[in-house]
Amino acid sequence: MSDPAIDIAGLAHRYQGAAAPTLSIARLSILARERVALIGTSGAGKSTLLNLIDGRLRGWTGSANVLGLALQTDRSPPRDHRRRTGFVFQEFALVEQATAFRNVMNGRLGHMPVRRSLFGLYRPADAASVDRALHDVGLDDFAARRAERLSGGQRQRVAIARCLAQQPDLILADEPVASLDPVNARSVLTTLRDAAEQRGAALVISSHQPDLVADYVDRFVALDGGAVVYDGPAAGFDDSRFAAVYGGRPDDSSQVDPT
Amino acid sequence: MSRVRDGSGEDGRRDRPPWGPYLVSVALAVLVLWAWTGSEVDLGRLAAGGGRIVEFIGRMFPPDLTVLPIVFEASAETIRIAVLGTVGSVILSVILGPLAVRTLMPRFVSAPVIWLLATIRAVPIILVAMLMVGAVGLGPLPGILAIAFHATGMLAKFYAEAIEGVDRAPIDALDSTGASFLQRLRFGVWPQIAPDLVRDTLFRFEMNLRESLILGVVGAGGIGFYIQTYVRAFQYDKVSTLTVVVVMFVLVIELANGAIRRLLR
Repeated sequence: MSDPAIDIAGLAHRYQGAAAPTLSIARLSILARERVALIGTSGAGKSTLLNLIDGRLRGWTGSANVLGLALQTDRSPPRDHRRRTGFVFQEFALVEQATAFRNVMNGRLGHMPVRRSLFGLYRPADAASVDRALHDVGLDDFAARRAERLSGGQRQRVAIARCLAQQPDLILADEPVASLDPVNARSVLTTLRDAAEQRGAALVISSHQPDLVADYVDRFVALDGGAVVYDGPAAGFDDSRFAAVYGGRPDDSSQVDPT
Repeated sequence: MSRVRDGSGEDGRRDRPPWGPYLVSVALAVLVLWAWTGSEVDLGRLAAGGGRIVEFIGRMFPPDLTVLPIVFEASAETIRIAVLGTVGSVILSVILGPLAVRTLMPRFVSAPVIWLLATIRAVPIILVAMLMVGAVGLGPLPGILAIAFHATGMLAKFYAEAIEGVDRAPIDALDSTGASFLQRLRFGVWPQIAPDLVRDTLFRFEMNLRESLILGVVGAGGIGFYIQTYVRAFQYDKVSTLTVVVVMFVLVIELANGAIRRLLR
């Protein structure tokens, strides 16, 4: 087996003034090329864990190795590390006034010489990977449109294209399908899975719809109160496990395809 | 905030004394009476002066077009005053604006700057211009200085508000892609504030143009200087030419601004 992409040990984090910890993880290891779904209810710590892996969480204790770098609790990882971890934000986090092309080009910033980039001088190779990323998410025709004038689904795709243009070795996606209908959700998940496969990147998706993401990942890691309560094959996450994490099947399962 | 407020307007009204509206009405009446009696306004004088007013307006016609070359040169000077005054206030606002951002600066920096800008806004521009004329003498320079000073009170506040409205999420996203600090400013912050800065600056430029029309009245250059000169000399036929040019000037400003806004949208 290959080296782990993510290796976390003895990790704890709590927000200032909070009584309960947001994260408390004894051990979590994710291999390169592995595809993992982080599942759990809202507030279970999924986003916090993803932010930590992306190097944007401060004030935690323990050890966290990501792509061979030991993360520091008090500072961001260096630029050449940050560009290797791609992050798809739940609320997209686009520059609304900028075009789809420009937003996706922002994914290239970590690869560009800083001074050239400040004048908007990007290399043909950068433009090519932006075009490819927009093509991969099916937005070839919307490159020149401003983000604020795109639909929710299209903006989600721009956010994913920005992550793909980054050509990351680790793709982190925070609730990438929470706001999408099932058809769009499946196509977004397919895009993420294919991108990870092509690049040989590890993929970590957080979701509160385990049935939906099960087809696209190998492994489930379920969080509850910041602790890992299930870590195993996606197929092994049966109804009784579901009940343990979510406290019973939701009555309204119209959004969720039964597997 | 010791009192518990339930936030409903209906209940808030109960706190109001029932005699409040009567007090306000009486105070207003006293104010108007005081203004009327104090100014010795005699409507009879307006009626008696009717003939004089007609004669006065008659003296404005026909407009004396021989002053047109002077008027055009003075208008050009007015535009130059407004342009350079705007440039000056943009420079000052780029410095003071960010200092007035409450979400960016510690309170001991932002609070005094906000207070300073409010004070600048409170000083009428004509007063600023008179002081500047006293300080540097007649001509366009005091006009430029007055505009630059006065406009900063508003422009820096607008710039600060544009910066306060910046959405943090895309900047975090750029941080995540490996963007450096300068890249985050250039591609995360700048695209968010640039449309606001351009809109605010254009708006203030339009105001500066209007205000620079009258600055000449106190000797601070531009077309206002000639209006004041000809009024004092009772050359009303020349004044009417100037009036027409000023009106056209303002109309052109409005049209140009509308066109620019459409271009930028």
